[in-house]
Amino acid sequence: MKLSELPIVEEVFESGANDRVFDSLLLIGPVLIAGIAIVGRSTVTTGIAIAYVLFFVAYVGYRGISN
Amino acid sequence: MNEATKTIGRDLGRMFQALAGLLFVSVLIPLIWGEYYAIPALVVSGVLPFAIGRLLTSRFREAAKPGKLHGMIIAALGWFCVAIFGSLPFFLIAWTVELAPPILGDPSQTSTLAAFTQPINALFESMSGFTGTGLTMTDNEEVLPRTLQWWRSFIEWTGGVGVIVLTTAILARPGSGSLTLYKSEARSERIHPSIVSTVQTIWWIFILFTFVSILLLWIVGMPLWGAINHAMTGLSTGGFSITDNSIATYDSAAIDFALLPIMLLGSIAFPVHYLILQGDLRNLYADLQTRWVFIYMSLGTFVLTTLVYVGDTYDSLFTAFRYGSFQFVSAATCAGFQTAVDTTNVALGRWSAQAQLTVTFGMVIGGAAGSTVGGIKLIRALTLLKGVRHRISDVFYPETAVRRLNINGRRLNEREIRQEFEEAAIITMLWGAFLAIGIFVLLMILPQGEYTLENVIFEVASAQGNVGLSAGITGPESLPTLGKLMFLFNMWIGRLEIIPVLVTLRAVFRRGGIYQ
Repeated sequence: MKLSELPIVEEVFESGANDRVFDSLLLIGPVLIAGIAIVGRSTVTTGIAIAYVLFFVAYVGYRGISN
Repeated sequence: MNEATKTIGRDLGRMFQALAGLLFVSVLIPLIWGEYYAIPALVVSGVLPFAIGRLLTSRFREAAKPGKLHGMIIAALGWFCVAIFGSLPFFLIAWTVELAPPILGDPSQTSTLAAFTQPINALFESMSGFTGTGLTMTDNEEVLPRTLQWWRSFIEWTGGVGVIVLTTAILARPGSGSLTLYKSEARSERIHPSIVSTVQTIWWIFILFTFVSILLLWIVGMPLWGAINHAMTGLSTGGFSITDNSIATYDSAAIDFALLPIMLLGSIAFPVHYLILQGDLRNLYADLQTRWVFIYMSLGTFVLTTLVYVGDTYDSLFTAFRYGSFQFVSAATCAGFQTAVDTTNVALGRWSAQAQLTVTFGMVIGGAAGSTVGGIKLIRALTLLKGVRHRISDVFYPETAVRRLNINGRRLNEREIRQEFEEAAIITMLWGAFLAIGIFVLLMILPQGEYTLENVIFEVASAQGNVGLSAGITGPESLPTLGKLMFLFNMWIGRLEIIPVLVTLRAVFRRGGIYQ
């Protein structure tokens, strides 16, 4: 079975902006939040969270420029 | 039983089942936080709408597809009934704690939670949540069980998606803004061709933005539970908080400024978000409503900052900007988060009359149609302004001249202009009329001299605009029962943009034979 055929993944891939990067961000988001809930605030979790938000903003900009 | 009733009954049944699903999912929260006493209340609250929903859907399975009239009635009745069923967790958990049966442990009762033992308070909270208003019957949200903190945020969040779906997919009509979005010649017509995929895509965007918002708030220092709840209520521009003094509790400029883009995201039309995520950034300035969201927020922030700075409400320009920008954006996006409260600075209700009325103006206009905001909506205000200018300039053209009006890339002919202008004028007139009625009723029932006129205008505009900012009038004790009932109505009509509620009331009274 392919990754894109998994129940939740399939629905995420079929909806939205048809962009695998955004789809991935959507799928990673809850995992990251759950990780933060378990591990708590640390340099690593803060760094990952900042990277997530900055990547999202940068990718929106990139998509705009590349179009 | 006629066909329309069957169609409406079946679709209401589906809504009730969806609500039951939300309640069953929420059982995870008391499990995580160890509030086991709340589980029976949540299960009972879910079983009831599920059973009724199941009955309606199975009985009317073969009913015809809904038309425009059905859509309006389903939306209006659905929102009202969902608010009623959604009040059950408040009511039942409050009574569980009140009675404290030994088998469910010994949860401690607080005056905040005890307020929900009154059905009217529970219904008020639920209606406020589902309509994304954020006015509350609690006096200290911090002491509420986590289960209810979650339920308040969750209903605002799902209510936010509900209203986007309603305005972009179901009730799109001339002058509603949504149709303008769809028919724009410059852009694609809909998010997706079918309602089902439109709804899926709206959820997709909403959930992605929610994760980004949660992480942003957490990065700037908000605890994770607060970040989850405030991201949900900020993005849905609902404004419920889990802290006693809303966002003022954190007293952090970083959190204040981080919430601004979150509230703004909620106030931009979701079809535009879709296009932006696809790389079409032109819509940030090319789309009429989105352009005006930024212009309007900037102008409002400038005016409000000036008023509170010059009026000596705050002594530094930065503080004036911090509170001025937050409160205007919070009002105009209809989020209703509050940073101006007594404990940290000057409460909104004590700002100068000019400043309060500027915030009120923000609440009345609101943001973009097709987003989660309330109020009249920018597209209607702009349609009215352009329409008035068009009519006046008409005098200077010969009668035979063929004139068109350009709104958001659409070139409207005379018939279309009339249609758009009429709809915008009717909604605005009704909005003003119900606002005036609300103000009159509140002035009649509140103790003389307790609140100023600007406080009263502010509070009614906040309820009807689904904003949630308070000048201090709304509360379990401070607002008389008649006021609570009136605000229930204000919140309801405000969320549904009045017409569907009036259509429903007409259908109920005429078809029900009450005045025939």
